[in-house]
Amino acid sequence: MTCKCEDIKDCFVIEARMALPNQYFVGRIGSKWIIAMRDKKKLTGLKCDKCNITYVPPREHCNKCGATIADNWVDVGTTGEIVNFTIVNYNDKHLPKKAPYILGQIKLDGADTPLTHIVADVDPADVHVGMKVKAVFAEGPVNTLMQLDHFEPV
Amino acid sequence: MAEFFGTTVADIFNTMPKRFKPEASKGVDVVIGYDCGGEGGGKWKLTVKDQAARIETVEGDLGPCTATIIASDAETFIGVTLQKIGAIDALSQGKMKVIGDTRMLMTLLPQIFVQYTVPAKKTEVTARGILSAIGERFRPDKAAGVTLKYGYDLTGEGGGQFTITIANGTCTLKEGLDADLAVKMTMEAATYVGMMTGTIDGAAAFTSGKVRIDGDMMAAAATGKYFDKYVDPNAEEAEELLSLKKITSINQRFATGPVMGKWFAGLREKKLLASVCPVCRRTLILPQEICQFCHVRTKEYVELGPEGYVTNFDLVYFASPDPLSGEVRDTPYACAWIMLEGATPEDAFAFEIKKEDLPKLKIGSRVRPTWAEKPTGSFRDILYFEIID
Repeated sequence: MTCKCEDIKDCFVIEARMALPNQYFVGRIGSKWIIAMRDKKKLTGLKCDKCNITYVPPREHCNKCGATIADNWVDVGTTGEIVNFTIVNYNDKHLPKKAPYILGQIKLDGADTPLTHIVADVDPADVHVGMKVKAVFAEGPVNTLMQLDHFEPV
Repeated sequence: MAEFFGTTVADIFNTMPKRFKPEASKGVDVVIGYDCGGEGGGKWKLTVKDQAARIETVEGDLGPCTATIIASDAETFIGVTLQKIGAIDALSQGKMKVIGDTRMLMTLLPQIFVQYTVPAKKTEVTARGILSAIGERFRPDKAAGVTLKYGYDLTGEGGGQFTITIANGTCTLKEGLDADLAVKMTMEAATYVGMMTGTIDGAAAFTSGKVRIDGDMMAAAATGKYFDKYVDPNAEEAEELLSLKKITSINQRFATGPVMGKWFAGLREKKLLASVCPVCRRTLILPQEICQFCHVRTKEYVELGPEGYVTNFDLVYFASPDPLSGEVRDTPYACAWIMLEGATPEDAFAFEIKKEDLPKLKIGSRVRPTWAEKPTGSFRDILYFEIID
């Protein structure tokens, strides 16, 4: 059946916006990790002594043996090496930066797992696997992963 | 009594029976004398026999003892007990002396007694204490324009009667209950302390009858808003935990269609339009495409009102929070069913009544809409309906 619209002069569209307040709990481990960045400008990780693996970002249980390692905090370096990267070429309001920007996986000195973060101050054409980078911390309290603002080439 | 390292010599002896470990003292048969000089000192005698410990203060001579510990002053004795001062240092400096078998004492005592620790100092939280500092927690910014006098009648131990007056951005407390209170809350002092320290839920205390409220219930519920939360000085410092708060915004587009579009177009011109059923001639407001009784399409539109009268209303005192924002709107508010002029019976229009008019609102009140300055074709174009005197 087709719709016969005789009077469409008053049809219009109402623009609206729905706001959804969200609260994401960083967790006890995540909180300690971010607070160490904020208060000590340090990057830390959790280490499984048995498997000799240091996890950055930290995790409560060892991925290999499953042991609880929540209390075994170790300091890792603020420098590291890019082990993988991608270049973000599109803009969206949920993204942290304007395109193009580099999202790198950085294996910090002393860590065994890579940390994904923004790599700035380098031309996307020049970024490569094996590039040495260092962490740049945010000035004030941010209390999110962005407490570690970005990585830049050494 | 002289205190060192946060405790006294007497405390150490008084806690001995509690710290005694009978199971570890099998076959132990000793009498130990203690002689502590200086301020806060004294003489005590400990008798351990048949897996029982007895401690007594001694005036004068200690009498026969298996071993005697002599400390020159209370600081040394407490320091050694708490292991803040090395026992060997105290002995070698002559501040402490042992008559008898030193080695036996140093192995035996830790074996049959739990190590003494200084009890955590607790500030006693009393209703009077909380109330006397109420001015420090007062938030003039939250209580702007508020004039309120309310009272607490706190019964039981540590109770009392208090009147709190909030006016002109200040908060004053005085003892006794004034006659012209807006609301009086009666409860046990312990309940008040529990509510302030967070161990007792205020709403639950009220519903279970632990708290009696005489007077303006809304004023009683609002009192907490004007103050910072009371912080229990004994509460342990909490581990800092982080959370990320974020408001995700989703853009939406809503097409009105031809019928609802007519309604919004009408609002732009400050007109309340209804659609009319061609069969039963009833007016449908908000306009609907189909008359649900006759199952026919409506075509005509007619302007209703703008004046009308209230046929029924709900006065809402407890608003449910907005599930999205968690915010609770101002109460009380009224949602009224309004028979606009020209409407057919039973086709009332629901809207809000001006807050200031609520006290005189009744069924039959004549009302008219108050419009926004510049109607844009949205529901916000009507601010509210006000009562025509």
